[in-house]
Amino acid sequence: MKRYAPPHPRRLLACAVAAGLLLTGLARAADSVDADVNPADLPEADQTIKAKPDNQWTGWWNRSTLLGDIGGLRSALGRHGVTLGLTESSEYLRNVSGGIQYGGAYQGLSTLTLGLDTQRAGWWDGGSFNVSVLDIHGKPFSADHVGSIQSASGIEADRTTRLWEAWFQQQLNGERLDLKIGQQSLDQEFMASQYGGAFIGTMFGWPAVPSADLPAGGPAYPLSGLGVRLRGKIGDSITLLGGVFAGDPTRDATQNPDSQQLNKHGTTFSTHGGTLFIGELQYGRNLPSNGALESPRPLNGIGGLPGTYKLGFWYLNHKTADTRWDANGQPMAITGADPMLHNGNYSVYAVADQTVWRPAEDSSRTLNVFTRLMGAPGDRNLVSFSANAGVTLTAPFAGRDNDTVGLAFGYVKVGNHAAGNDIDTGVANGNPLYPVRGNETQVEATYIYQLTPWWQWQADVQYVRNVGAGAVSPNDPSQTQRIPNNWVVGLKTNITF
Amino acid sequence: MKLEFPQRKLLAAAATLLALAGGAHAGDAFLAGVKRHTVLTNTVPDNGDQNPYAIVVSPITSGKIKAGDVLVDNFNNAANLQGMGSTIVNYHPDSKNLTLFAEIPRTLAQCPGGVGLSTAMTVLKSGWVIVGSTPSNDGTTDTKGAGCLMVLDTEGKLVDVWSGPDINDPWGNMAVIDNGDKATLFVSNAGFGVGSAKGTPPVINQATVLRLDLEIPAGKPPKIAGRTVVASGFGEQADKGVFLVGPTGLVYGKDDKLYVSDALGNRISEIWDATTRTTSAGVGRTLTHDGLLLRPLALTTTPQGHLLATNGSNGKVVEIDPANGEQLGARWIDANKAQTPPGNGDLFGIAVTPEGDGFYYVTDDNNNLVLAK
Repeated sequence: MKRYAPPHPRRLLACAVAAGLLLTGLARAADSVDADVNPADLPEADQTIKAKPDNQWTGWWNRSTLLGDIGGLRSALGRHGVTLGLTESSEYLRNVSGGIQYGGAYQGLSTLTLGLDTQRAGWWDGGSFNVSVLDIHGKPFSADHVGSIQSASGIEADRTTRLWEAWFQQQLNGERLDLKIGQQSLDQEFMASQYGGAFIGTMFGWPAVPSADLPAGGPAYPLSGLGVRLRGKIGDSITLLGGVFAGDPTRDATQNPDSQQLNKHGTTFSTHGGTLFIGELQYGRNLPSNGALESPRPLNGIGGLPGTYKLGFWYLNHKTADTRWDANGQPMAITGADPMLHNGNYSVYAVADQTVWRPAEDSSRTLNVFTRLMGAPGDRNLVSFSANAGVTLTAPFAGRDNDTVGLAFGYVKVGNHAAGNDIDTGVANGNPLYPVRGNETQVEATYIYQLTPWWQWQADVQYVRNVGAGAVSPNDPSQTQRIPNNWVVGLKTNITF
Repeated sequence: MKLEFPQRKLLAAAATLLALAGGAHAGDAFLAGVKRHTVLTNTVPDNGDQNPYAIVVSPITSGKIKAGDVLVDNFNNAANLQGMGSTIVNYHPDSKNLTLFAEIPRTLAQCPGGVGLSTAMTVLKSGWVIVGSTPSNDGTTDTKGAGCLMVLDTEGKLVDVWSGPDINDPWGNMAVIDNGDKATLFVSNAGFGVGSAKGTPPVINQATVLRLDLEIPAGKPPKIAGRTVVASGFGEQADKGVFLVGPTGLVYGKDDKLYVSDALGNRISEIWDATTRTTSAGVGRTLTHDGLLLRPLALTTTPQGHLLATNGSNGKVVEIDPANGEQLGARWIDANKAQTPPGNGDLFGIAVTPEGDGFYYVTDDNNNLVLAK
């Protein structure tokens, strides 16, 4: 076999420069052709184009996934009803002002998903299995650098590889009714805001109320919980979702302030911590359904703009500690006694997503608004109220159909008993200037740039006012200063393999 | 003037009668009689090709094909790249099975640019299957070839390839007049002068409808006896999302009229003297435009002679009375909310069942063949 000398770096550099000059020249030539010649007058190049056989890397820039068919693997799996998905999210967030500590951190999340369609597998109709695994890498950013209740990233979590979801779903009455059973992450279906999902801040995904108030943050990313979920469609525009889940995805979240460590690999399969009941009513406005008939309308009429509205609740039938009073009705911060216990915990919420403008019915450019409100009793919860609202514009520039720009804010209010506990702490420490927490506001501006169908970049800026709802700064030994208002900048990339 | 009570009653009665008359008219619509949508099969063959485009119901039983079988071709390859699909699958309604009818080589010397099977497909009574190619080497129009028409036998074996300067990306579903030993094909060509989809690609008004007069000797493949451009000047445009947009649907109707769905014009055009004309009728006359139409693609005919057009930019099928161009109504057949508007880019081919009691369609988002009846 003939061997070739490896290319010298200088030779490579010279080649690269030459190629660059050549390409620049070609681009200029093409530009001048474009400017002066009607394309209709150009000879038909298509007649001379030769077909090339496709291979693993054909059309790498244009295809929907980075690895395409993986040399036939996806097709082979697909023949047996198996779908394979792998995504990587990587981000770098940097605190540039205020907060606890300047500096940045990298966080990454790989998600491997395996699905099985029972009908395609040659078994029965309407069934599907789903298993997903997370690999969380990098280092959590918000707790060390910001100190906010509404953390800056939706993917930051303890570094580990863990089983995430593992469930079976069966359609029971065509597309009208379906049942899902197994290990589920509730943020995938409940309380979700379609347009809020564009933002990096975690509370635009799983809201602040359940994150702060449910044991271990509830069965949501990066955790999940065992349970059953039933979904039914009533007519064309109303959907009912209801589920029953284990109350504590970590078995006993009180045993470790970092509850993710109690279920480090997602294999605890907890049935402890009481039972979490959750229900949601969804109403779709101007959202068509298969089979719906439409009458003729005036020429050039634009149909109604779509929106989705949701009302829901959750209830946990487990003893829940008061955030201020001990079992005798005295301030815990002073007595140090065990807390008073309440019968259960609950919350109600509302979510709205509405498109408010689009220039034409088939336009990719849409202006959308969303809001999500959530309340819980203030006597037993760190956060008694949370709100998100925002606006997104898709296709903000010509030719950028899959880009999105958005502005959103998040607000949390600390429960009145938790705030009272701060007063008591000040009294107990003889520090009348000890800060009492109130509320925190987060504002986020973001731009999502779709580089290729499988590669996305996202630039992000966040501002947090009254960080930690006005919590005491850990950098202040006198415990009288609050954490300063804070700015975070970040860059995120998502790749679909 | 304030109306007296009896007058108001009279007006109300008249209004009711008018409403009922309108309701009766709407009841004549084919789409109003469709009750259920049933997913029949996933159309992805073993090689992983995706994006089902053309649908043809076979009129004959021969070789691998039985009368009533539904042939579906694929525009994308396994990596989901457009203009690289090379397979035709066959759904057998009696056994509910899907088999591979043909897998055409990606590279054909006679076909400029190779093979990426388009919506242009038909099965002749004589058993020959004719299918169009709108090929690419990378899934975009940057590497688009002019393509060709290919003739297959009923075993799925390639027997002839037709190309030439008047064939450039045979794109739209064919209208066919089939007399056994002779046939007339109408096929739209949407590739002339179409360039890259980068930036904001221009609309090029060079798309044509080509009439091919075929002679079919007994037991031998069809030969082209005449080629005439019967319509030209339709808009065509490269597109990042859907490869290209151009005239797609063709239906041969009464009074020698050919109906063409002009996707970029958002209208249905009619070409008169379609089988006899020797010159182009340009873009023809507008039968109907806008309203319920949103980038109309494939066309077919209902038993009562109405046109059904699938919308490219949403998941609706629209029914049109060709006698007067009235749009009778629409039905959502793909309401996938993952797109904006729902079902955007999901619909392509459509074919009425042999019994005339419903229609087949494909949903490109999940590669399914669906029956609505």
